[in-house]
Amino acid sequence: MSDKKAATRGPLTTPPSTPVRTPVQTLGEALAERGVSRRSFLKFASYTASILALPPTAATAIAQGLANARRQSVIWLSFQECTGCTESITRARTPSIEDLIFDFISLDYHHTLQNASGHAAEEARMAAMEENAGEYIVIVDGSVPLKDDGIYSTIAGITNLQMLEETVKDAFAVISVGSCAAFGGIPGANPNPTGAVPISDIITDKPVINISGCPPIPEAMTGTIAYLLSFAAIPELDHLGRPKAFFGEAIHDRCYRRPFYERGLFAKSFDDEGARQGWCLFEVGCKGPVTYNACATLKWNGGVSFPIQSGHGCLGCSEPGFWDLGGFYKPLSTAKGDPLKWAGGAAVVGAAVGAASAYAARNLRKKSLKAAAAAATPPTAEEKE
Amino acid sequence: MPRDARATCLDATVTGMALSVLAEVGRLLEALAASGQPGAIDLRSLPLTDADREQLEELLGRGEVQAELELTGRSEVWETAYPGAWWIRHRGAGDRIAAEEIAVCSVPDILLAHPDDIRAAARRLQHDLTTQQAPSAPEAGATNVETPHV
Repeated sequence: MSDKKAATRGPLTTPPSTPVRTPVQTLGEALAERGVSRRSFLKFASYTASILALPPTAATAIAQGLANARRQSVIWLSFQECTGCTESITRARTPSIEDLIFDFISLDYHHTLQNASGHAAEEARMAAMEENAGEYIVIVDGSVPLKDDGIYSTIAGITNLQMLEETVKDAFAVISVGSCAAFGGIPGANPNPTGAVPISDIITDKPVINISGCPPIPEAMTGTIAYLLSFAAIPELDHLGRPKAFFGEAIHDRCYRRPFYERGLFAKSFDDEGARQGWCLFEVGCKGPVTYNACATLKWNGGVSFPIQSGHGCLGCSEPGFWDLGGFYKPLSTAKGDPLKWAGGAAVVGAAVGAASAYAARNLRKKSLKAAAAAATPPTAEEKE
Repeated sequence: MPRDARATCLDATVTGMALSVLAEVGRLLEALAASGQPGAIDLRSLPLTDADREQLEELLGRGEVQAELELTGRSEVWETAYPGAWWIRHRGAGDRIAAEEIAVCSVPDILLAHPDDIRAAARRLQHDLTTQQAPSAPEAGATNVETPHV
């Protein structure tokens, strides 16, 4: 998928001497006028390189790319969602280097954040599409209902499907934020009453970047946008369309409780002696071994903590079909039956657990993907009967 | 055991990672000395405990140069006791560490004045002199508005 979807940005790589439209300020020019110094740019670039797992020496290239980029038009579409993804990316904080990304984008349409409403809001969307044709990015949170002609979610008198297809038509790329947009999420959970599907099921002729999570880590969203602006290209993606920089490793692999797992030391219940000692939460349902995300490294709330550090197992929210994995508090060894059963047994003997769980994780991952694919497929007429 | 106490135990663990980083700094310094090739190590991407970080900082020591920068939050740069090895710490929201690296180079880029900024500064000072006004130092955090970032 990464190779197929890797694409350089056409219009944005056009030399400045041959502008398509009226020349506009570069980000460097615009921010310099506002007192954002060159060194601040370099600092932001160092921060971005770090969260993208790029070599620190890439910071200079990022700073140059950002300085020469134009302010990026972004149209944010919200479909079957809870607004948690917006809450995650816009958490109120004191102005800081992490927030500089919001100066790099022009958020031209967003239900929750825009002042305009009704016809004026829709006119803003159409204007942004026209003015930035071929260059704008569409961010989508929420899944799209297809059952019964999509009547279960409509905005401005049209279905989510119609709005998505209309808006994406001239976009440069699409970013699906949150597990609902990326994989169907909770609206797509069994029995999927609205026939909810992920964005990638509908949009097949544009690059679609999935930033899954319920919600996603803010840095995964802002870092991906920064990458697009800096390098005018799609970052390397995994087989589920997620940036490898954030989804390349299982939470378990970077978990600070991993040494207890290796030694076979597991909490058996919440608040037992093992839990108090900070032992591994595998047996109380932690899905860290099968969940690919950056929670254990980037953490949440500005790096304060993440669920496992706070004493609760990972829910696996960045994986397809996480809601239907069999129970948040059931260990992986029992949540989905046989393929994992012997992994749980091996866990008791500690040393063997690593290999066993890795095998189990791969199997569970395959089953999860099948389940998600099945859930995302609208039932046939025969199945309905 | 209270949760804070558990965290303290974890953070107090010395894993040996500091020695590995130190060896890498040594290799980068050799490369810098031999060919002038700069390098850097991103500390935030490494599973360093607080104790590891303290050990590394202690092992590298402090050299003659240190600088504090106010760049949308505080940043600190200091040369370690090994000239050419610089510790760079960028702080973000809540003064927490947003990025941290060891740069192996003559001088970190973030300390250098950019040529365009120097040219703009010369123009600004010349303007102040010709209008016979006291030189107007820009406010803290302000930048040269005549030139874009490059």
